[in-house]
Amino acid sequence: MASPLEQFVNNVRTMSASGSFRELCDIIGKSDEVLQRNSAHLNTVLETLDIQQHSLGVLAVLVAKFSLPQGTNDIDKSTMFQQIHDFINNCNGEQVRFSPDLYANLCHLLTDHLVEIKQPIRGIEILKKAIRKIQLFDSQLTSIHADLCQLCLLSKCMKPSLEFLDTDVTGIGSELGGNNDSKHFLLYYYYGGMIYTAMKNYDRALYFFEVVVTVPAMVVSHIMLEAYKKYILVSYILHGKILPMPKYVSQVVCRFLKPLSVAYHELATSQHAAIKHRETFVRDKNMGLVNQVLGSMYKKNIQRLTKTFLTLSLSDVASRVQLSGPAQAESYILNMIEEGEIYAMINQKDGMVVFLDSPEKYASPETLCVLEQQMAACTKLHQYIQEMDEQIQVNPQYVKKSVGSHDEDIPATSQNSKTTYSM
Amino acid sequence: MITNFDKLCGELEKQELEAPNGVASPTTYSQLLAIYLYQNDLCNAKFLWKRIPQNVTSSNPEIAAVWAIGQMLWKKDLPGTYQALAAYDWTEPVANIIRALEEKVRERAFNLIGRSYSSISLDTVVAMTGLSRDAVLHLCRDRKWTLNEDNITIQPTPPTQPAPLHTSSEDQLFKLTEFVSFLEN
Amino acid sequence: MFEMNTAEPMQVDVPLEDNENNETECYVVENPTLDLETYAASYTGFAKLYRLMFVADHCPPLRLEALKMAISHVMTTYNVSLYQTLHKKLAEAVASAGLPDVAVQMGSQDIPVLDTMWVESKTKKAAIKLEKLDTDLKNYKTNSIKESIRRGHDDLGDHYLDCGDLTSALKCYSRARDYCTSGKHIIMMCLNVVKVSVYLQNWAHVLNYVSKAEGTPDFNEVPGKDTNQSILTRLKCAAGLAELATKKYKSAAKHFLAASIDHCDYSELLSSNNVAVYGGLCALATFDRSELQKQVIVSSSFKLFLELEPQLRDIIFKFYESKYASCLRLLDEIRDNLLLDMYLAPHLNSLYMQIRNRALIQYFSPYLSADMRLMAAAFNRTVNALEDELMQLILDGQIQARIDSHNKILYAKDVDQRSTTFERSLSMGKEYQRRTSMLILRAAMLKNQIHVKNTGRDTGPQIGEAPGSSTSLTPRTFDTVPL
Repeated sequence: MASPLEQFVNNVRTMSASGSFRELCDIIGKSDEVLQRNSAHLNTVLETLDIQQHSLGVLAVLVAKFSLPQGTNDIDKSTMFQQIHDFINNCNGEQVRFSPDLYANLCHLLTDHLVEIKQPIRGIEILKKAIRKIQLFDSQLTSIHADLCQLCLLSKCMKPSLEFLDTDVTGIGSELGGNNDSKHFLLYYYYGGMIYTAMKNYDRALYFFEVVVTVPAMVVSHIMLEAYKKYILVSYILHGKILPMPKYVSQVVCRFLKPLSVAYHELATSQHAAIKHRETFVRDKNMGLVNQVLGSMYKKNIQRLTKTFLTLSLSDVASRVQLSGPAQAESYILNMIEEGEIYAMINQKDGMVVFLDSPEKYASPETLCVLEQQMAACTKLHQYIQEMDEQIQVNPQYVKKSVGSHDEDIPATSQNSKTTYSM
Repeated sequence: MITNFDKLCGELEKQELEAPNGVASPTTYSQLLAIYLYQNDLCNAKFLWKRIPQNVTSSNPEIAAVWAIGQMLWKKDLPGTYQALAAYDWTEPVANIIRALEEKVRERAFNLIGRSYSSISLDTVVAMTGLSRDAVLHLCRDRKWTLNEDNITIQPTPPTQPAPLHTSSEDQLFKLTEFVSFLEN
Repeated sequence: MFEMNTAEPMQVDVPLEDNENNETECYVVENPTLDLETYAASYTGFAKLYRLMFVADHCPPLRLEALKMAISHVMTTYNVSLYQTLHKKLAEAVASAGLPDVAVQMGSQDIPVLDTMWVESKTKKAAIKLEKLDTDLKNYKTNSIKESIRRGHDDLGDHYLDCGDLTSALKCYSRARDYCTSGKHIIMMCLNVVKVSVYLQNWAHVLNYVSKAEGTPDFNEVPGKDTNQSILTRLKCAAGLAELATKKYKSAAKHFLAASIDHCDYSELLSSNNVAVYGGLCALATFDRSELQKQVIVSSSFKLFLELEPQLRDIIFKFYESKYASCLRLLDEIRDNLLLDMYLAPHLNSLYMQIRNRALIQYFSPYLSADMRLMAAAFNRTVNALEDELMQLILDGQIQARIDSHNKILYAKDVDQRSTTFERSLSMGKEYQRRTSMLILRAAMLKNQIHVKNTGRDTGPQIGEAPGSSTSLTPRTFDTVPL
């Protein structure tokens, strides 16, 4: 065994034993080259280390082993899944949290591998576990989230990702920000939006796509563009129009996205667009959504009718919303009643439909229950905001700035800059 | 006989995720698919169908038969649904879920008719519930839906709402206190 | 989910759009009851020329007469190019009218021929006058007598206007501004600019200078109450025109209503009859019942204007008395003549529409339910056309009602305040939650310095790279029909 590698193993052992994990991280950061160079001996190294006791060391070796360039014969990828699986199940969470970067890297490697061998579904459980292990709290976003969503989408098994997607993020893992690129952040919200769209939870989907588009940007990412296209379509389905973007959207985004998605904007003004730009929609793989937009337009028109009419004959409904005939109108109305989108009564004998107001009288115990839940949710959010406010109040930089302008000479990029809310 | 499908659903999902090489057993797939339909979770059913490997579906016609029902449900084609339900000789344990599914679909259809129609032809009811005329007439009597003199039009009544859930006054008082204290601070 | 026939709805759209455009752009009035002689006599200067030309463009029966009158008027000015244009139009009109020979011979006596001699001499005279005024102005400037310079600019502006060079006229009038020594001068300058800007249809400029004039410190102290009133009326009329042209009908109405008939002498722009019609129609279209009563019907000053237009007065009173059928019929009767008014014509459709809608709203306001057959009769419409109109009003939230299409009855919608309050507060709560969680996420993003940046090789895919190049997952479709 070559001596630098020996040195590495020794360091891992002694520092893990003494609990100097921060220093160990520094060493690991510098050992990259050593490990890569000795790829043939990595398996031997793994045998000498214990997953539970030397989690950081094992992590570093595993990452080094599996990130070797393609075609390196020393590495047998057939054991990869099992090895990473064992590691994630058994590693020490406290330890690996010292190096979330490396930990996430390992998960990215596993994800890439499973995508490559076309068995994405196998990674879902293990990544779920991996996320839970590294998270400090449930609503913390890690860069592994994006991997999980990617595997769920690819395997067409979306349900497992929902428990993560349904939790609103309040904190972000350090490996996602700072000097790293924002790819995994963007991807998580883009994939999440796609999953919600697939599950027909359009409200949530719109929220996710909106997050992607509003990420502060100096350049426009392709992920943002694709998200913006879907944002438009989902917005049509939900609201019948494009909802305006929040004011804090970055300028470049405003400047670039609109001209690049002309076809989508045209969809609002005329239905010709669906045919005229068919190629664009098909190329963007959005044709399915475009068809749903067209379908939702009939529904929107029927909803307008319910606002104006008390009774209407089925054939009038058909002619007013341009359906083929009373039978089609009846089936649309029936479906909309079932989905709770309108309230109506069909009289088959006279061929009439009576539109009703929502039967909800807001007087039932259910209403009270809903109200209580909503109020509790609002209260919780409010309290969270207050906590954030308090944190800012005691932030030394903030205090310095708000007390006076005397200290302006101090460079703004002190070590504290990471903990402020400025960009 | 299993009646707690939600619990079974969770177990089956876990089986699929933990299956070696990502391919679960055919009965896992067929049961899970049927349960999704029973839960009226058509999105998840559709994606499950799409992810079952082709060689599994082709060698297990029962899975395809379950999805045939799903397709009809997706298209909201009730007569087609009943046809698909009857079109296959189901084996246990799927047969059990399919029976429950058929009941559920019919129950939903009756509720929908009650909610959506003030008058409806007997033929439509027959088509939407997949029952014989006599059975429909019998069930209508149970629900106190009246048949017009013309013997072809039925006047349904809306289904009654389930009994309101009960909350203790102590619980309410607690929530109220919490809310007021939030407003006060 | 459903099979869509996407082709069907679009086929309807196309012709509709085309129709609309055609209608507003060019139309023809065949049977006006307008007495052109009297009409033209109410205007001077460009107002007369423009209005006659507008009539000529839109009313074939009056085309020849209007052009002849315009030509005889233009010959009193230096406006040579307009003279030539008018003759060209006249020649076209004669040709396109395709008059039989007899008529041509008969008419040829009073159809003026192009007088090239006149053109030459006028051009020469105009040039000489321009040179003289220019030299005068130069002299004043060397002597730097402010008052003379101001007048020099004004004279030059007048001359340009007379020649039909509006842009130069505007420049001269505006330049006079630097040499104004009193509030009175400023107001005169403003009036000149306003006039030319109206001719140029530069409405923002008009409003700008009207407010400038009104803001002049001693605007209210200008000697002579009558002059003051007359200036005020001119400013109000000009502002009214500008608001009308920019579709702000309500404030247009307010401006016109503030005019005073005894001081309404603004033949360079409009006549008292115009004030009555513009003000009356705009008020009818935009005022509610009490505003109409207070500001129009019992207004002693506007009453005098309405006396000039008895038909319109009847219309307003019929409207106020809720006799909508006769009101709308009378409106239809005066429609043709109003379409020959250059400032009103582009807005006539929308004004009429608004008046109609207001009538519908008022008609229904006291009822809990109304028989749509009776209502249709009261508004000279078929029941189906009325249904469409009402539908639009309900969707716009102007009428709180629902249509029983089966029995053709319109029912007032009783709004359950309690339910709407619940509904609104619940949706408000949802919105709050959405925005707040977005805010928290954004704070976390900024704190972690997450932003899309260009950091070379290892960044997320940027515009220019192939889509999804850095991700093995391509965006997939959400097919509507499972297969």
